[in-house]
Amino acid sequence: MIEVKNVSMAFRMSQDRIQSIKEYLVALLKRKLKYKDFWALKDVSFQVHPGEVLGIIGRNGAGKSTILKVISGILKPTSGSVEVHGNIVPMLELGSGFDFDLTGRENIYLNGAILGYPRKFLDQKYDEIVAFSELGEFIEMPIRNYSSGMMMRLAFSIATVVNPEILIVDEILAVGDEAFQRKSRQRMLELMSGGTTVLFVSHSLDQIREMCDRVVWLDHGQIKMIGKAQEVCDAYQI
Amino acid sequence: MQKKWNLQKGCVLALAVYAVLAVLFYAIAQEQLCTRTDDTDSVSAAASVGEILPGTVLEQQFAVQSDRLTGFSVLCGTFGRENTGTLDLSLYELEGQGGRSLIGSYSLDVSQMQENSWYDIPLDTPLGNAAGRSFLLKVSSADSALGNAVTLYYGNSVSTGRIELASEGWIPLYQNGQPVEGTLCLRTTGQTDLWFGRYYWYFAAGAGLLLGLYCWRLCAYEKKGKSCLGLRLIHAFTRYRFLIQQLVSRDFKTKYKRSVLGIVWSFLNPLLTMLVQYVVFSTLFKSNILNFSVYLLTGIVLFNFFSESCGMGINSILGNASLITKVYVPKYIYPVTRVLSSGINMLFSLVPLILVVLLTGTPVTPAILLLPFALACLIGFCTGMVLILSSMMVFFRDTQFLWSVLSMIWMYATPIFYPESIIPARFLVLYKLNPMYHFIRFARTVVMEGISPEPKAYLICLVFAVGAMVIGGLFFHKTQDKFVLHI
Repeated sequence: MIEVKNVSMAFRMSQDRIQSIKEYLVALLKRKLKYKDFWALKDVSFQVHPGEVLGIIGRNGAGKSTILKVISGILKPTSGSVEVHGNIVPMLELGSGFDFDLTGRENIYLNGAILGYPRKFLDQKYDEIVAFSELGEFIEMPIRNYSSGMMMRLAFSIATVVNPEILIVDEILAVGDEAFQRKSRQRMLELMSGGTTVLFVSHSLDQIREMCDRVVWLDHGQIKMIGKAQEVCDAYQI
Repeated sequence: MQKKWNLQKGCVLALAVYAVLAVLFYAIAQEQLCTRTDDTDSVSAAASVGEILPGTVLEQQFAVQSDRLTGFSVLCGTFGRENTGTLDLSLYELEGQGGRSLIGSYSLDVSQMQENSWYDIPLDTPLGNAAGRSFLLKVSSADSALGNAVTLYYGNSVSTGRIELASEGWIPLYQNGQPVEGTLCLRTTGQTDLWFGRYYWYFAAGAGLLLGLYCWRLCAYEKKGKSCLGLRLIHAFTRYRFLIQQLVSRDFKTKYKRSVLGIVWSFLNPLLTMLVQYVVFSTLFKSNILNFSVYLLTGIVLFNFFSESCGMGINSILGNASLITKVYVPKYIYPVTRVLSSGINMLFSLVPLILVVLLTGTPVTPAILLLPFALACLIGFCTGMVLILSSMMVFFRDTQFLWSVLSMIWMYATPIFYPESIIPARFLVLYKLNPMYHFIRFARTVVMEGISPEPKAYLICLVFAVGAMVIGGLFFHKTQDKFVLHI
């Protein structure tokens, strides 16, 4: 389903980011154009089989988010390759495609289109999305008037309405008040256990143990351990 | 299966549309495709020959470069009074060894003449095979009287824009057998046959054949499951059509979201700009362009689209940074949708243009159907520009400031509110390199003159559009993987 082959990702860090021609020329003339390569991922390879839930654990800065971005096609690896069969729905950050001047209804279509849902699908699921978000009549209001909780509820409802072939989750999202948090957690768990392939990043080892079949442990951009969830989690905890 | 069938259907549709367009195009533009009308320039009037009285004989020799000579015109002066009598003009063809043969005699009624105006004399039948041959125009007046006769002008320099150039190799005017320091103010009109028109059907059939072959290749590739550029484009389009549609409608909705008049601004904006410039340039600076309001508005509508799409498109990557770093969508979608939104805005602003055309009584001919060609080329050109600008903007934020200066220079370098004739000759080459000049000229020919431009104009517009898109596409493609690291 997903095949990650020898992926390395280097970020070029210069002392200060050069953003104008003047700065560039000055730096060039002073011969100060020094770069330091930071390898966020080094030679990472693994496979994800269809229907599998793969957890990714590691400390901050271990490269967890980077590998998710590489798999979802946002970042292009410096070397190596990623093969993906099936459509991906990334749940990296909710509501990033919202336009604040548009109404909730218009944003459902806009955000849905960005996530790659077809129009027919959105027409069918529209009522479901609105019902899940519990927005009621507010759906016809520009979302700049929404509270942050309302916005997150809407974003969550749009993102989770699909049954994607591959789901990429950066931490289980629990948004809104307590009741909605419970509901959204329930929805996530449903999605993840519903036979889709899931890539799942979390710091909560309990969740990982509960959900995942296999786990990849990343450390400083390299795979430290890969195997059964229980074994890797035990090793990580020590 | 469903998809393959769709592709085949699409190919058949494309071919059918092509055939209809090819025929329709010929029907509209046949005349301009087959022949070109050449109007020669006259020398600037420097002096008059004095009253043309009985006994005065003016002889001017001239050569013709067009295939057919259809007429000529002379610049007459009346000394600001009413005159009587007739002016007799005879046109001869010069043959070898000093022989000449009369082609026709014409007379002009002097009493109706206005000071300093051109009088056209069409030949009864166009004179074929005229190219390279020499002619002689003889002017006299049998029944004029002193103090009541008209005059003709002559000169020895050519004005191009604001500069007067000495006219090279002029043939002197002979007055009563004596040469004068200059040549008669004379213009000829002719027609030249164009090879493109003669072979139009071959071209059309050839292009149709190529299109058919390409469709066939696409279908074959689709069957085999191979991929090529065309297929990828078609697939990307079907896949992201809904997204493009949504992004365009977002641009449109947010643009006028909180304004009272809303979409009316799309009509009002070009109209008000035109009004201001019309007042400024028709009263403060005397401009002698015929049908100035239409001339102005055509330029404004087209150039506004260019500056709007580039000005907004330059930020299309940076402005969507939050999306680009979170969700994978082909990045060219953002600049392309930006141009499309501006394109729709331009379509709205065509409404006031048509209104003004109707109000000023400009004749509307089928040639106006050719306007979409210019607009399509312009959109293609802008897409290329925006692809380049938006990706440059990611790496160098100075681009937007440089661009605002550059677009201002560009505006003044395009004849929007001034006539083409004031462009000095030495800068003309520069103007010919300006794509906007060609797009606007194309649109003006179609709207104001109601005829199709010459075949060359199509080629130029197409080359600029395709060239910009190819260069922009390559540039964007090469840089797009690094966007994420810089935004």
